[in-house]
Amino acid sequence: MSNVVLSVKNLSMSYLAARGRVRAVNNVSFDLHAGETLAIIGESGCGKSSLNLTLIRQLPTSAKIESGQLLYTKRDGQQLDILQLSKKGLQKFLWSEISMVFQGALNALNPVIRISDMVYDTGKAHGLSKAESRKQALDLFEKVRLDPMRVFRAYPHELSGGMRQRVLLALALLLRPQVVIMDEPTTAVDILTQRSILEVLKELRRELNFSILFISHDLAIAAEIADTIATMYAGEIVEIGPVYEVFYHPRHAYTLSLLDAAPRLSVGAEELHSIPGSPPDLIEPPAGCKFHERCRLATDICAHTVPPIEIFNGNHRVSCHHHQIVRKEREEVIQS
Amino acid sequence: MAAISTASSQKDTHSFFARLKRVTKSYTFRVVIQGIVTIWLATTFTFFLIRLLPGNPISIKIDQLMQQGYTLEEAENQAATLYDFNPDQPVLEQYIVYLGKLLRGDLGESITSAGTSVSQQILRFLPWTLISVGTGLFISFSLGMLLGIMIAYWRGGLLDNVVTALASVLSGIPDYVFAILIILVAGVQLQLFNVGEMRGGVNPNIEAGFTLEYIASIIKHAFLPITTYVLATIGVWTLSMKSSTIATLGEDYINVAKARGLSEWRILTAYVGRNAMLPLVTRLAISIGFVLSGSVIVERYFEYPGLGFQLARAVGSRDYTTMQGIFLVITVAVVVSNILADLMLSWLDPRVTLEEK
Repeated sequence: MSNVVLSVKNLSMSYLAARGRVRAVNNVSFDLHAGETLAIIGESGCGKSSLNLTLIRQLPTSAKIESGQLLYTKRDGQQLDILQLSKKGLQKFLWSEISMVFQGALNALNPVIRISDMVYDTGKAHGLSKAESRKQALDLFEKVRLDPMRVFRAYPHELSGGMRQRVLLALALLLRPQVVIMDEPTTAVDILTQRSILEVLKELRRELNFSILFISHDLAIAAEIADTIATMYAGEIVEIGPVYEVFYHPRHAYTLSLLDAAPRLSVGAEELHSIPGSPPDLIEPPAGCKFHERCRLATDICAHTVPPIEIFNGNHRVSCHHHQIVRKEREEVIQS
Repeated sequence: MAAISTASSQKDTHSFFARLKRVTKSYTFRVVIQGIVTIWLATTFTFFLIRLLPGNPISIKIDQLMQQGYTLEEAENQAATLYDFNPDQPVLEQYIVYLGKLLRGDLGESITSAGTSVSQQILRFLPWTLISVGTGLFISFSLGMLLGIMIAYWRGGLLDNVVTALASVLSGIPDYVFAILIILVAGVQLQLFNVGEMRGGVNPNIEAGFTLEYIASIIKHAFLPITTYVLATIGVWTLSMKSSTIATLGEDYINVAKARGLSEWRILTAYVGRNAMLPLVTRLAISIGFVLSGSVIVERYFEYPGLGFQLARAVGSRDYTTMQGIFLVITVAVVVSNILADLMLSWLDPRVTLEEK
């Protein structure tokens, strides 16, 4: 694949709570390539959104980034560590290099000012003139299939949920960033709107060639849009690999459980298996493999020893003691 | 020809009803009707309520005269010639006469100061109250919002702790206590100002006119009542603005604005401030009524020649017509300020539209 845009190395972050440190992101590493779409999947509460806020350093004051590097390569080849940027530097960096589509489109727009004002505000903060901002925005609104002039002059409450989501998408692309982080961009809208937003997204990606970090708990959407899938559990990336590999030949018991829990058209509801329990307490995480308490394949070794990271086929990285069993089980399901 | 004229007249009636429907649905129409009904109800209530007060203008005057040494008979005769008021007239009849005059814009004559009309009195005293209450509310509202937004931004800091504690205490103390404290502590004990000199709305020795001296005197005399109004209301504004700002700071659009790299100032004004002040604007209208009624006692303490001072005097002598007039002014002020609050809210918040679509 092409060159790496964002390289995350051993990133750890925790929140300070009354009982102690909540280790929400634990030793996470991955590379995001130019034009690649990486989907991070996992249950609620497994650290997806925390990871994503850490990447753009928009954490609440109770959070602390403990270690790691966020190496970003600009279009001109210049490399920088996002964690080393000054406050001013970060302000200039965000949105022009990495932008974001937040969860919950309904509240992401200021209700008392016009869309045009939000466009101008964003442009002004990064040195774009009003005319340039306007031209860019109208162009992008066209691309996301909105009526440019009407939307540009509208107030947020005059737009539907799907329209607002597309406005946010256009706003995220206003400064032509290389990376767009999307946190569950389709959860707040109905299934047809979801579809049209995904279509728009694919088209934009082809046309403008940016990388996407897609955070979702919807496996079907992740499968449709992503090139690479990362499974996150208890603040760690437990499996990462090409989309086909991870979905058809998963090697981590948690990924397998997620796939078994996802409804499919081909099987009946009785064949869905939910995962018992809920993600572990991250203040005192379980020893060994953090998933072992909920894992039906767990054995003694899982409770004591942290599984090592193993790499298959060059780009499929997994840490699970029972990756062979997982692989075999999945194979049987696919064949049957 | 005949057929054509029927058709066109039909069309006219149709458009007439359509226009009527539009009018009855329009904001202005609704507000005017509501205002008229409110004013009529308040007027009627006060009319009967003030007549339930013990005594009437004549009997109060008789009491006064007898204390000065007149005999009952002398006092009765003098009171009857002094006041043009017949206490034996049925109340309902009085009400109908009053309402009839009111509809013609006539508020009647003051009972106890024969020869002066109530409108004249109001015109003379209203400006003083408008200046002092208006300025007081404006200062406390703007200062309270500023403080509230500041302590919400620096939540948990020293400023927050001090201001929040102070605001909580202030908001629990009624305005007349501040008035007494200002006079007793600052005036009498600390001698920060001459209590006697501060009475009245302006120094009577200075010639009225648009001169610097005259205006300075007005400001000087209004200073104490204004300070009282500010102290009595600023706590509530500060605390409301603080909680409203904290709620707004947690909104997604604030986080998005930060990520978009907007300047702190732009976020503070257009994103936080404007959204946080919305709930306070409606409360401003309500508080105008409260402060106006509070001015009755405050103006009496400072002997400030406003409507409140006048109302206190009128109540003391049971000057029914003057009381009715001043209550009417207060009612109108509340109605008008509610309309102003509506307009301001619709200007600040695009989701609020006054006209029905």
